Amino acid sequence: MVDKGAPVHEADEGGVGYRRLNRKCMLSMYIGYAISYTILLGVCFLLRSYSQGFLGPYYDFVQYACLAVLAIALVYMVAAPPVYYARYRYQITEDKVDVRYGILVIRHILVPIERVHQVEVTRGPIDNMLGLGDVTITTAGGDATINYLEIEEAEKVADRLNNLIGRMLQDRKSPAPTSLPGPAND
Amino acid sequence: MPNEKVRCHPTVILEKSLKAFSSAVMFLILLFVAIDSSAIVTVLALFLVALLLFNYRQWKRTTIQFNERDVVVERDTLFKMKKTLPYSKIASVNVNRDISNRLFGTSKLLININSGSSATVPEAVLTFKQDIADEIRSGMSRRLYDHTISPEEDETIESVASFSPMDVVIHGLFSVSTYQTILGSAFLAYSLFELYVSTVAGFQVGGKALVPLLMFVAVQIAPSVSLIFRYYNYKVYRRGDTIYLQHGLVRTYKTSFNVSRINAVRVKSTLAARLLHRSCIEAEVVGLVSEGGGSSRPVLCLLKDDATQQKILRELVPEFVYERNPNRQPEGAKSVLLIRAAIASLVVAAVMFYPSVYVYREAAALIGVVGVLGVALQYVLPLVTALAILAIIYAAYVSYRVAEFGTGEDLFTFVNGAVDRETVVMNYDKVQMVRIEKGPIARIFNVARGSVYMLSSTGSASISSGYFPENRLAAVGEIVMERIASGEYDYRENSI
Repeated sequence: MVDKGAPVHEADEGGVGYRRLNRKCMLSMYIGYAISYTILLGVCFLLRSYSQGFLGPYYDFVQYACLAVLAIALVYMVAAPPVYYARYRYQITEDKVDVRYGILVIRHILVPIERVHQVEVTRGPIDNMLGLGDVTITTAGGDATINYLEIEEAEKVADRLNNLIGRMLQDRKSPAPTSLPGPAND
Repeated sequence: MPNEKVRCHPTVILEKSLKAFSSAVMFLILLFVAIDSSAIVTVLALFLVALLLFNYRQWKRTTIQFNERDVVVERDTLFKMKKTLPYSKIASVNVNRDISNRLFGTSKLLININSGSSATVPEAVLTFKQDIADEIRSGMSRRLYDHTISPEEDETIESVASFSPMDVVIHGLFSVSTYQTILGSAFLAYSLFELYVSTVAGFQVGGKALVPLLMFVAVQIAPSVSLIFRYYNYKVYRRGDTIYLQHGLVRTYKTSFNVSRINAVRVKSTLAARLLHRSCIEAEVVGLVSEGGGSSRPVLCLLKDDATQQKILRELVPEFVYERNPNRQPEGAKSVLLIRAAIASLVVAAVMFYPSVYVYREAAALIGVVGVLGVALQYVLPLVTALAILAIIYAAYVSYRVAEFGTGEDLFTFVNGAVDRETVVMNYDKVQMVRIEKGPIARIFNVARGSVYMLSSTGSASISSGYFPENRLAAVGEIVMERIASGEYDYRENSI
């Protein structure tokens, strides 16, 4: 039986080896969006209740603007998670981290392992509840994040990156083997 | 004085106390005025004495040790601190002199390390007698750059090009961004308008004219004057692999850094500078921050004619000169830029609609303003809006024409800027991360924008390209990876 929630290997969009996120990422996004939307609703409610005197003749206009913002935000919040999930791909090879994601704007990030300074696994309260985590890869010029990984997967990714960096540093420390002078058959 | 523990010059006690006192005095006065206390002078005097005693203790218990391999700054107070700065990690050792240093005959020695997290603050600021500071800097330069420049040589050495006081003034006036100039001019125009309206209508000239005038000074005049003061007596030269800069009128700056620390070189020209056929050169180097604030990005050449600028570029940083074979943006980019310009124009028109109606009604109601001037006042905002929309569309067209992207063997270049133009030459080995973005409109026309992330004077920065085919931009990342895989990239030369 195939676990539909588990990350799967992909063979499209950029070749073999790209991985997808767990479906639970959509749930995490929906919960996050629901919280944001509640705050937005609260702000609109406060505006509706207390701003009539302050806004004067513009009160109606502001109310319509609030309704428009709420409607656009609702459409975005409903549609965004499946698109985000469908588009998200990441790949970690011996020499690079490659992440492709985006809802309206599609982003493709490439981080050479050689430039990685720090790897961090973080979990917010919602992700914690769903067993998800983010891996933030920091370079001297900025950072890239692989979001919504299952926590075991996030730990594995961080371990793998740390091993790759450790191996690279080890290679640098150990001097290159040099041939000693002497007879060829020694 | 190797391995010997030394202290900073005792004048730092007074300097630090006065600085802290001046920043807190206004707050204290306001506080006492609010609570109506008559003991204000006594409290201020006690505060100053407390500051002096605190800073005396800090000075007494802070020692600096210049060892063979590192500099150790140690403070044995309630909050203990021991900072070890190995020479191998020090990016630059610079000397600054401000007014208090000139009064006391001292210099500030600024030690910077090559770190993104502390890129905006020097790692250590040590005040010594001027001759001792110069001697220490000279000794440290020998360790850092394998050669030394004596204080006498520092004064007599020739600059790569001569920069007259007029060059400094031109740099101060015309290197300020055009957007800043437009904003400053808008404040000035509004201030004059308010002045005129209040004069014509017979009202008192109040804060309505004064506030925009102050904004004009803050946005336009102050940055220009600050640049003139900062770059007065400008001198730049290179010895071996080290670039030296000297400048400053009130606060003097002596800066040096190894050329291998340069992550990118920018040739910049504002609209006004282009009209004068001038451009300046800046370098993106980490670890050159000074106490005086302002940009920590070193200027390798003030606004000079293009031929001199090219000569300086070749002599100072030949490592960043290559035969460029730039690509222009494809046709698809033009469509994307025009659609973006159309959207921006719609937003501008929508935003300006209400203010235009308001100004029209107010100007019509003004008594005493008649004839052509009255009509001009009524239509000033619609006219400004129309001009802004034309400017947006023209900027989109120029942006299409100007943006370039070129890749070479070791270097690559982004050229950007419809108004203020910038040519950024970057080394593949300094690239930390590559990001390619395709928005919904760009996707239709098969183009994308690339951003290259690198360590910069302010910590980290991204440099963006124009619109190019995605695979063309992806070549930057591919070349970076190839250079690492093939061993062309030498981590010892590019270590951070």
